[in-house]
Amino acid sequence: MIDIPEEQLTPCPVCEAVNIDKGIETVCRRCGSKVYPHKGYSTQKAWAYLITAMIAYIPANLYPMLITNQFGAVEGSTILGGVVMLWEHGSFPIAAVIFVASILIPIMKFLVLIYLLISVKYPIGKAKRVDKHKLYYMTEAVGPWSMIDVFVVAILAALIHLANVEIVAGTAATAFAISVFFTLLAAHAFDERLIKEKK
Amino acid sequence: MKLENEDALDNLIICQQCFTLHEEVPIADGTQALCTKCGGVLYRYETRLIDYGLALSITGLIFFIVANVFPLVQIELLGHEQYITITKTFVSLFDNGFYVVGLLCTFLIFIFPLMIFTINIVLFSLLKLAKGKTMTKELLVLISHIRPWSMSDIFLISILVALVKLIGYAQIHIGVSFWALILFVLIDLYITKYIHISELWMLRKGIFLHKGHR
Repeated sequence: MIDIPEEQLTPCPVCEAVNIDKGIETVCRRCGSKVYPHKGYSTQKAWAYLITAMIAYIPANLYPMLITNQFGAVEGSTILGGVVMLWEHGSFPIAAVIFVASILIPIMKFLVLIYLLISVKYPIGKAKRVDKHKLYYMTEAVGPWSMIDVFVVAILAALIHLANVEIVAGTAATAFAISVFFTLLAAHAFDERLIKEKK
Repeated sequence: MKLENEDALDNLIICQQCFTLHEEVPIADGTQALCTKCGGVLYRYETRLIDYGLALSITGLIFFIVANVFPLVQIELLGHEQYITITKTFVSLFDNGFYVVGLLCTFLIFIFPLMIFTINIVLFSLLKLAKGKTMTKELLVLISHIRPWSMSDIFLISILVALVKLIGYAQIHIGVSFWALILFVLIDLYITKYIHISELWMLRKGIFLHKGHR
């Protein structure tokens, strides 16, 4: 017979099994993964990834994402420029999709992660526990959709490369892909159990 | 909370969405248990889960192979015909010197989806044969690390967005692969949504526990 308080039960981040929290070195009894993969540095790691992502997001918006070479006339368009162009051409749904995927989701994710990372460390935001979990769960779910723009550029570049008309990916594609990649890493590095502990 | 031993922890479950602790209760075949607090799915009881999983994984892999062999879309522009396949999409990024994006795309839309379905087939076969206690464990750990990084569904939507952008400039012909990719993505979504990793862990425990007693 063992008696443990309910707060000391923690789920394994890999296989979701319920474990008894025996401190930082706890190993999951079912899958053998470390229950605390980041040891004591969970927020620091998430911060580092997040800041990298935010830095990469700046060139992603300044440099051209897509370079069109039409009969020698070279034209580059940034993410925002592309959205505006689509809107002016009347493709409203596509403009909206690109705007949400490339501008709204990344910025929302930055803000949500910053809020979560600060709120687990300092007691700000009196919102209930469930709200923060929902917030995190939603950012996790919509996060990968930012990749749409990168894929679109890759498809267009692969599809259109004639002698006279050519589409090439721009510098921003690399920057944006890196930004999305590090945002995803930051979200994975964020330890959701911290929300619970600071109840 | 009082527990007999550490194994009794298997009767407890923590909701993945709101982290509320629940005690597992037996439910009818084919039904699911929901979290009392947030309504998220906790677990499901389905006796034919392995057969379903195996059948879906094999079907998915066949569609993935088809999707890679034939052209996805073909366009006619200024009298020239151009087509893309999944592989051509990231190979052309490498050709243009975009190594970082190319590498990322290769993993997200090709290697990870392929790995997930191959692992699923091996995993379900092993579970069905009740063999490979350590191997199933390692595969389950591996698959839960890869799953969030597979982006076939997002790639599919990207193709549609790219095609809409091209309307008016070029004639577009949808290839066989495109339909195969749609079916592959649907199967992928179905497996991700309806076969939870934690259910597979429970199944695995049941299978090897039973085997140990014989």
